[in-house]
Amino acid sequence: MSFVESKIGPGESAPGPEKTPVLEIEDLRISIASAGSSFEVVKGVSLTVCENEIVCLVGESGCGKSMTALSVMGLLPRGVARVTEGKINYEGLDLLSLQSRELRRLRAESISMIFQDPITSLDPVFTIGSVLQEVVRSHRNVSRAEAKEIAVRALVQAELPDAADRLDSYPHQLSGGMRQRVMIALAIALDPRVLIADEPTTALDVTVQAQILENLRARQREREMGMLLITHDLAVVASVADRVAVMYAGEIVEEAPVEELFADPQHPYTQGLLRALPDISVSRAGLYSIPGRVPSPQTPPPGCLFAPRCEHVLDSCWEGNPELKREANRSLRCFNPQPFEVR
Amino acid sequence: MKHTASRLVYTVIVLFVSSVAVFYAIRLSGGDATAAALPGSATEEFREEFRDRLGLNEPIYQQYFTYMGRILSGDPGNSLTNNKALTTMLSEHGRNSLILGGTAFGLVFLVGVPLGIVASLRRNSWADQGIMSMSTVAMAVPNFWLALLAVWLFASRLGWLPSAGCCGPKHLILPAVVLAFEGIALTVRMTRSSMIESQNSDYVRTLRAGGLSEWRITCKHVLRNALIPIISLAGLRIGQIVGYALIVETIFGWPGLGQVLVNAVLRRDYPVAQFFSLVLVALVVVGNWVADTGYTIANPRLRKSS
Repeated sequence: MSFVESKIGPGESAPGPEKTPVLEIEDLRISIASAGSSFEVVKGVSLTVCENEIVCLVGESGCGKSMTALSVMGLLPRGVARVTEGKINYEGLDLLSLQSRELRRLRAESISMIFQDPITSLDPVFTIGSVLQEVVRSHRNVSRAEAKEIAVRALVQAELPDAADRLDSYPHQLSGGMRQRVMIALAIALDPRVLIADEPTTALDVTVQAQILENLRARQREREMGMLLITHDLAVVASVADRVAVMYAGEIVEEAPVEELFADPQHPYTQGLLRALPDISVSRAGLYSIPGRVPSPQTPPPGCLFAPRCEHVLDSCWEGNPELKREANRSLRCFNPQPFEVR
Repeated sequence: MKHTASRLVYTVIVLFVSSVAVFYAIRLSGGDATAAALPGSATEEFREEFRDRLGLNEPIYQQYFTYMGRILSGDPGNSLTNNKALTTMLSEHGRNSLILGGTAFGLVFLVGVPLGIVASLRRNSWADQGIMSMSTVAMAVPNFWLALLAVWLFASRLGWLPSAGCCGPKHLILPAVVLAFEGIALTVRMTRSSMIESQNSDYVRTLRAGGLSEWRITCKHVLRNALIPIISLAGLRIGQIVGYALIVETIFGWPGLGQVLVNAVLRRDYPVAQFFSLVLVALVVVGNWVADTGYTIANPRLRKSS
């Protein structure tokens, strides 16, 4: 199936054409400074998340996914990483130009974030109820009783069992899955328009992962939030995404609606990722991995960043990095796209 | 609760073992008790009879139990040199020591913690670097030398403060500061590193993502978490202050337990040396237990175990 012939149209769960963007990242560049030198880890990423849409950002560790997400929240590690260029728009506001106080007001209220490790992400010396209420009261001028009500409602929505009785629990009294539910409650308590989830299920037991994901998707659909889900797990992508952006070495290499990406992956990196999915019917000896390693951001290869690992590499691939070309509803950064063959 | 109770049992065991050690160490220290109590002209028979009367010829474990029995019944005996009741000496000198030690202990935290916080919030600024270099110097300077320097500067040269004596506030300043000096330095460093660790933690990132103000996060969450290790080491500071009190009290002529103990050892006044050693050991051990209890209260992970 070629690029042009592929069937275009909204899938069953994908939003219609009238969708409005809530979060727009334009040509974002992030640099990390270490020991006197600085190098770019996010190299001109553009990404749009619309209302009632789940966009998955996929890629291996260190490809810049988390940095992209943290920059939206203004939470890049200080003194280490900083945005050097680009725009992040939320409902007409450029988040990068906001004063820290204005940005703070947007956090949790308009844009929320859930982190990877629920074990370390909750303050160990305060009860979950007190932290939830503190966050609510720092944004809304409500009484303690009302804040408590909002907190309980959020915990119920996050499907924490016995939510009302858990307000006085300390994080260490909860399991990893329960703590991630508390993190979800913190993120959705104030009904934000955008939810960023950075590998929300990676640190959890497999049995809990599906429940947490299902809960996130249910909350996203009923509130029509725009959601940016960062993951390296293609199974997660397949089960919840509307659109997928594949990142490699700080760049987006391919973006497409989820059905199309899985049916017709075009970038050799995306194809490699799909091929690397273990298939239960294939013997273990047959596990596939993409040869080579991610290039170090300090010493990127000349030309296309994926060229050293690409099996369809041409001579011209070493001469310049391809542009991200948009065609219909998908984009691709490749000089020599080849049809996907399952092996 | 369970944690606190088990620490209490542990404390009692430590008290017992250390009392045996102190008791035995005094016996091992050599010398002759009669030398302190009796005139040099006393005959050998008279000395022997004196030892008999004091029970010094009994087996040592029996002496231990007799002695501990007397301490527990509130009559640890009298000094050999001036025949004062030890309980009277304890209340007189103990009060002085509590004033000095308590002030030093207070200084350690009231000065050390705020300086550490300032250093952590202004990391790598001139304030941070100044505080950290001062604390390095303060840890390196031996306190007997510092004491002499302080006397020379503030008493001899400037004449602002008395060089020695007891017990007004003016007399208290120099010995208390000298006694607290190293503890302050250690507390500054610990507070700073503990604050920085807490500031960089995942839960602080979560609170930032929740839109709380930096000020609120620092004052409430970062500080509260950073204090846990500081409290847990408060017991060590008690031991340090008690140990240094022997030197500092002697130099500044502060009539506290440390001074009494040093004098007793020099004069071979065994009942005094033994009793006050035990008191100081008990103080450190119990102080550690209190610090441990404080740690339990500050750290919910130990408070309830449900």
